[in-house]
Amino acid sequence: MKLMIGLENTVGDPTGVWGAFADGAEYFISIFQRGGEVLLSLMGGILPTLIVLLTAVNALVRLIGPEKIENLGVKASQPGLQWYPVRYMVLPFLAVFFLTNPMAYTMGRFLPEKYKPAFYDAAVSYVHPITGIFPHANPGELFVYLGIAAGITQLGFGLGDLALRYLLVGLVVIFIRGIVTELITARMMARKGAAA
Amino acid sequence: MNGINALLVKVGRSVGGVVGTLYQAGRETVDTVIRNVIPFMAFISFIIGLVLTTGIGDWIANGIKGLASSLVGLLIVSVVCAIPILSPLLGPGAVIAQIVGTLLGVEIGRGNIPPQYALPALFAINPQVGCDFIPVGLALGEAEPETVEIGVPAVLFSRVITGPLSVVIAYFASFGLYSSN
Repeated sequence: MKLMIGLENTVGDPTGVWGAFADGAEYFISIFQRGGEVLLSLMGGILPTLIVLLTAVNALVRLIGPEKIENLGVKASQPGLQWYPVRYMVLPFLAVFFLTNPMAYTMGRFLPEKYKPAFYDAAVSYVHPITGIFPHANPGELFVYLGIAAGITQLGFGLGDLALRYLLVGLVVIFIRGIVTELITARMMARKGAAA
Repeated sequence: MNGINALLVKVGRSVGGVVGTLYQAGRETVDTVIRNVIPFMAFISFIIGLVLTTGIGDWIANGIKGLASSLVGLLIVSVVCAIPILSPLLGPGAVIAQIVGTLLGVEIGRGNIPPQYALPALFAINPQVGCDFIPVGLALGEAEPETVEIGVPAVLFSRVITGPLSVVIAYFASFGLYSSN
């Protein structure tokens, strides 16, 4: 643009009131041009990979059959220390992976009432950490991770490290969250039982 | 002859089944992408455009720089998000978490927040996850009404403890992430 103006600058920039309006209009449209550039980079960068990945994982889940994890739900309902990691790490992970948000919470039906709030807490807390590597589990809420990841990409770093750490730290967090919520639930149930 | 026929039928069926499943998976994916992913991308793009073009970006940068680039700041964010009255309001559709995540991403990209804070930040902006959805989530798990009555406050109170705790865990887990030494 500048080159052309340099060669045949017969029309001056508008000045005065109209000039101010014209500047305002240009500024207004520049907001959306920038937004459009971002949209195009998202559509060109993330979307094709996402579509292929979602298709592959959706097909895999269908071929395996989500009902396979129901047995695990029955097992996880048992009392005992060794079932804590199963109930608040393995089961929420598999439920979110195979059933996705929000159907993952239906796995709670295999658990006794006293574990249901804790299982829900663990499962729902995993619907974002899992999206770093397995976005099919929660495609409607990708930008919790993708938003922050976009900044990392812009700096020129790879995302694998962040995605993996998010996935693993998420597992630790939901395990702790499950245990804490189970304790609080037990406390409140006992108090309510005593009051009644 | 019968054996060969049976084999052919069997092969045909299973191949057909697999191809049908793949096709169905593709259809489901495109459906999800059009209905859930692209609308959010459009919305996020507008916000990023607005932040980068106008002065809002610098204003936000000044506001969140202190909060998002220290452990104490992130803890404050997580405590606020975990307040039992606020958390159900911040939860729906994870819209708030996604907007804040995007804003933080923009600031990380501009160099205002060190990249190793990405991991603790992911947890700091999200202690409210699912807090709006507890009764529905428990109903999906076929919980009794009495369980829902106790489960809602139990989860909300648990977040007050586990929200900040998750930030601390993520902070220590982020050592060696995107740093030269």
